[in-house]
Amino acid sequence: MPETTHAAGLLLAALLAGFAGMGWLSLAMPAHAAQVWARALPVRQAQSLRAAGAIGVVASLVLCLLADHASMAVLVWLMTLSGSALLVAMLLSARPRLLRVLAPWVALRSRPAS
Amino acid sequence: MFTSFRQAMAWLHTWFGLVLGFVLMAAFFFGALSVFDREIDRWAIPSTRIEPQPMPSFEQVLRPAFERMQPTRAAVDAMRSRVDGPMPEHFDTPVSWSAYTTHRDPVLSLFAGFDVPNAKDPEEAIWAEETIDPRDGRLLPVDQLKVGSGFFYPMHYGLTLDWKNLGIWIVGLSALVMLAALVSGVVMHRRIFREFFTFRPGKARLRSVLDLHNLTGVVALPFHFFFAFTGLLIFAATYYFPVGHTQLHELHDLHAEAEARETGLPHQRAGVAAGLANVDAMVAEARRRWEAKGKAGEVGFLWLQHVGDANGHVSVYRAGTDRIALVGDAIHFKASTGELIREEPAATPVGRVAEFLTGLHLQHFRHWLLRWLYVFGGLTGAVCIATGFIFFVEKRKRQHAQQGSQGARVVDALAVASVTGMVLAALGILVANRLLPEDMVGRGDWQRYAFWGSWVLALLHAAWRSAPVAQGRANPAWREQSAAIAVMALAAVLLNWATTGDHLLRTLAAGYWPVAGVDLSLLACATVAGLVARRLWARAAAKSAAPMATEAKHA
Amino acid sequence: MSQVSTTFVQPRAARLQIVARIGAAVLGGYAFAWGFVAAGASLMFAAGMGFHDAEFLASLLGVLAFLVVFLWAIATKRPWWAWLGLLGAGGLLAGVASLVQAALL
Repeated sequence: MPETTHAAGLLLAALLAGFAGMGWLSLAMPAHAAQVWARALPVRQAQSLRAAGAIGVVASLVLCLLADHASMAVLVWLMTLSGSALLVAMLLSARPRLLRVLAPWVALRSRPAS
Repeated sequence: MFTSFRQAMAWLHTWFGLVLGFVLMAAFFFGALSVFDREIDRWAIPSTRIEPQPMPSFEQVLRPAFERMQPTRAAVDAMRSRVDGPMPEHFDTPVSWSAYTTHRDPVLSLFAGFDVPNAKDPEEAIWAEETIDPRDGRLLPVDQLKVGSGFFYPMHYGLTLDWKNLGIWIVGLSALVMLAALVSGVVMHRRIFREFFTFRPGKARLRSVLDLHNLTGVVALPFHFFFAFTGLLIFAATYYFPVGHTQLHELHDLHAEAEARETGLPHQRAGVAAGLANVDAMVAEARRRWEAKGKAGEVGFLWLQHVGDANGHVSVYRAGTDRIALVGDAIHFKASTGELIREEPAATPVGRVAEFLTGLHLQHFRHWLLRWLYVFGGLTGAVCIATGFIFFVEKRKRQHAQQGSQGARVVDALAVASVTGMVLAALGILVANRLLPEDMVGRGDWQRYAFWGSWVLALLHAAWRSAPVAQGRANPAWREQSAAIAVMALAAVLLNWATTGDHLLRTLAAGYWPVAGVDLSLLACATVAGLVARRLWARAAAKSAAPMATEAKHA
Repeated sequence: MSQVSTTFVQPRAARLQIVARIGAAVLGGYAFAWGFVAAGASLMFAAGMGFHDAEFLASLLGVLAFLVVFLWAIATKRPWWAWLGLLGAGGLLAGVASLVQAALL
């Protein structure tokens, strides 16, 4: 049955992967990096965030396919991405600093942002 | 004349979006509610607050129920104009008996179609519908309006405007316009990738409203497109482009005869009476065959055709609970003997595409996460349209105030009516459902009046309070109706408790999610509406304080 | 603001233009889509596809075709000709469908 704890766990992981993926894709954009860290990121860091974003999105698809019949998995994945994108956008506008948790390796400036 | 394609698309998006947007609000909002239509039914009809039931035994439960079914007086009267001669007292020749169930249905809908003697069209049939408790065949009282599946659901695809299917046509046109609005919106949006995650509530009103409109439109673009598209496809062959029943009906009949020969499933009655073998045995055989194919499953649809005739056959369909397709893997038996006629082969590629696209929209699958994601998608679409209205008004109201035009005011009043007013109408029917006496005659009709009445009141209120818009200011009806939503949603939850005793603590403890879910959703709705009302009131207070501050500065 | 340019055009002519665009898009578009669905369904059935499959696939493509001509009719420089053209094309396609039906019966 699709609603075993196993499938539920896979779907939860898919949601998290989708959220992380969309989050990383947004943080790779200079305008949103500035919202989160008050500065732009070096090009290489932005590129690796974009790559991580793509991986997160694909991982989410794989997890969905593992949880359900293919015809449903694709729909769950697409809707997960939509919901994740909306959530990321809302966080960027209301509580951008929360998204720092997605990329804790990004060093904060020693001088506090004015 | 437009100077560019982009400008033409902007005109299309603005004006067609505005006019058909009012219809689309209803389609998206009531579509979102329809995802949980059967759960809303159980909230509205407390006697059905039981667990979902599988398809019951034909011999013990269904057959006696079918045999006593007859069309209603109203159906007989509606048929009169299509008959040459007197209408019989009793319809004796059933052409079709069918029952459809999903994993979410506690009660079962039965449909019986009868041959109409002396009808102008020889293929004419008159229909009767009944709802029974599958555990014992007990009939559900006739006037129990299924607020979810029997009202909100038809509202979303046809606005319950049944005269000549006018409502279905209007919603169809609005769906096509939705597709056009999505394409034109993408053409207009110059920075669609750069602004994918952009929402700037701190900026000027016009900018932040547009941000939200773009965000809700783009982020769920596949959902919006596919729901409008598949919705059109579901009704295309029956209502919008019924070529098979009109221009090409001879081709259709040719195919039907060929198919009847090829499959062994006769299209017409033989005119020779025959009995009915044990249908439960046929169902058991069908389930055994599905299991043998590795597709063990429940019965989703049971269909008897040409009942009581030598050509009668029984079709057993598998419920598509675990996949997108609605029902499938049909197995057909000869009604009089119970022998197998045909096991449906796997669907053709086009057939599979059709199953996927219609099943994607009609959602009879078991997947609670996907259902909630669908509700989120529908509400996102509603926000997109609502912010479109607000943007339209915000962009023009100062200009219209200077010109002395009432345009922005009219649009704003209509916007209030179709956003907060529509929610109030939905709450109105739920509240009426709990307040009206259980044994009231015409209870279903009165609930419908409560719905439309609430909506009309909301429109009148919005219009009455909209004068400030003609002076370039906000319409207080937005915050007033938001507050009303909060009050009514809370009232609905309390009324459920008062009239049925099924308060949240009880339903949550029992794990009875259909009713708990509706109550929780109502509370969430009340909370959101309350917060919105509070914020709008604070904003209005700040606006009226600001002129006094400038006075003080000059003083 | 995106508005029809009225600088050198009489208001009545501008209003008629809008009528032409809407007529072409909605009514012309519908006629074209009907013809498209009828022709598509009959031709695919003639080619061996099942009738309901042909009807469905033709409807699917027909809705998309409706969308395309709808957008085109709104944007075209000659809406009255577009309206006429779509009605004509729709009629032609419907004619093809009836011919195919006659041939198969």
